[in-house]
Amino acid sequence: MPPAKVLALLVLVVRVSVALAGGNRDRGQDEVGPGPDEGPSYFGVVLDAAGKPVDDARVTATHRDGLAMVTRSNTAGAYKLPGFNKKFSADDVKISCAKPGYRQMRVFRHPPPRSGQVKAVETECRLQKS
Amino acid sequence: MLRYGQALSAQKSIYSLPVTLAEREGLFRREGIDLRIVIPVPGGADLMIAALHDDTVDVTHVATPFLVRAALAGSDAVAIAAEFNDPIYSLVARPEIARIADLKGRVVALADPGGSITYSMRKLLALHGLRESDVQVKTIDGTPARLNCLRRGGCDAVPLGQPQDLVAQAEGYRLLGVSNDAVPPYLYTVTAARRSWAAANPDLLARYVRALAASFAMIRDPQKRRPVVDAIVDITGASPAIAEGVLQLYAGKKVLPERGEIDVKGIAQVIAFMGQTGQIKAPLPDANRFVDLRYLERAGIR
Repeated sequence: MPPAKVLALLVLVVRVSVALAGGNRDRGQDEVGPGPDEGPSYFGVVLDAAGKPVDDARVTATHRDGLAMVTRSNTAGAYKLPGFNKKFSADDVKISCAKPGYRQMRVFRHPPPRSGQVKAVETECRLQKS
Repeated sequence: MLRYGQALSAQKSIYSLPVTLAEREGLFRREGIDLRIVIPVPGGADLMIAALHDDTVDVTHVATPFLVRAALAGSDAVAIAAEFNDPIYSLVARPEIARIADLKGRVVALADPGGSITYSMRKLLALHGLRESDVQVKTIDGTPARLNCLRRGGCDAVPLGQPQDLVAQAEGYRLLGVSNDAVPPYLYTVTAARRSWAAANPDLLARYVRALAASFAMIRDPQKRRPVVDAIVDITGASPAIAEGVLQLYAGKKVLPERGEIDVKGIAQVIAFMGQTGQIKAPLPDANRFVDLRYLERAGIR
């Protein structure tokens, strides 16, 4: 079987099994869910130069130390990532986005509320066809 | 740069200790490797091999049954080093329950029905004359969630990994038995890579394996106890005393590999579990199909 077909089949099998198992549930090994030690989550949207949503873009949140979380945008261009450990400052976390055939134009982080604890950080990522 | 995949769950569990310690102590840097830990979201053991295929990561931490399942579905991923050999799951009960036989009619939490934790607990119950139908089974994924069930009174007995089994015993709960009493040793978690990627990066993988071997040596070295305890505390949130207890529990046992070596018999045992639980059908595949030992050999490890 050609490698591309194997990959497509594997991804399909995995996605279907994850959906059947309850979507985002992290399962299989002995897992630990989000805890009180978790910092702010990261969410936002990936758009093209015309402001239209870009689906299946790879969105990466990278901490200054190198630890990274990776997800993909949905059909509305939206993404969401859980928080790193709360000892990590959100200021040290960079959001980037990528998709084959596109290059990253700019990343805009919405300013957090002036008061209170930051629970989520919203960032818009723009891609341009290359 | 080497992108190492890790499930969010594993990152906070004892199973991340070998790689996390190597990273904290500069063992990868010493081998000239800029290791980046990458957590795919959504995550979980069932998605880690897919992260190899869609170029999210170069190598990944994965529980052996998920590697076997992915390979049987067409993936060319193979185990290149062992990370955790033979896990210890403790069956811990309410204080008034003295023996496994006393669990008859009681609520016992188990994990994923097809997983090795549930399999080993079924075998442990059977050793003491109990069938699964003799107890009220509640499926709860995750050691922390099962400990919560025990604490809140919703469960009479639960299987717990480290460090929560030691935490529970310190709180007065009773240890009834351990998984290792009931099942032979098996290979729990490995580092996996695609054959094609590995073949193109043999030197990088040999250096990765050497760094991992140095981490296992550090975990075993009494003179290096402090950084290892600190790593367990940071990873799991346990107290230093409990972290020390985890290391004492592992001492002299085959929970961790000596140097990352892969015991193919441990994979064969996983395949046997999967066959016995109906996850794969006979004829069962040869365990060698899921392993590539060349990078261990290149690093001088057998």
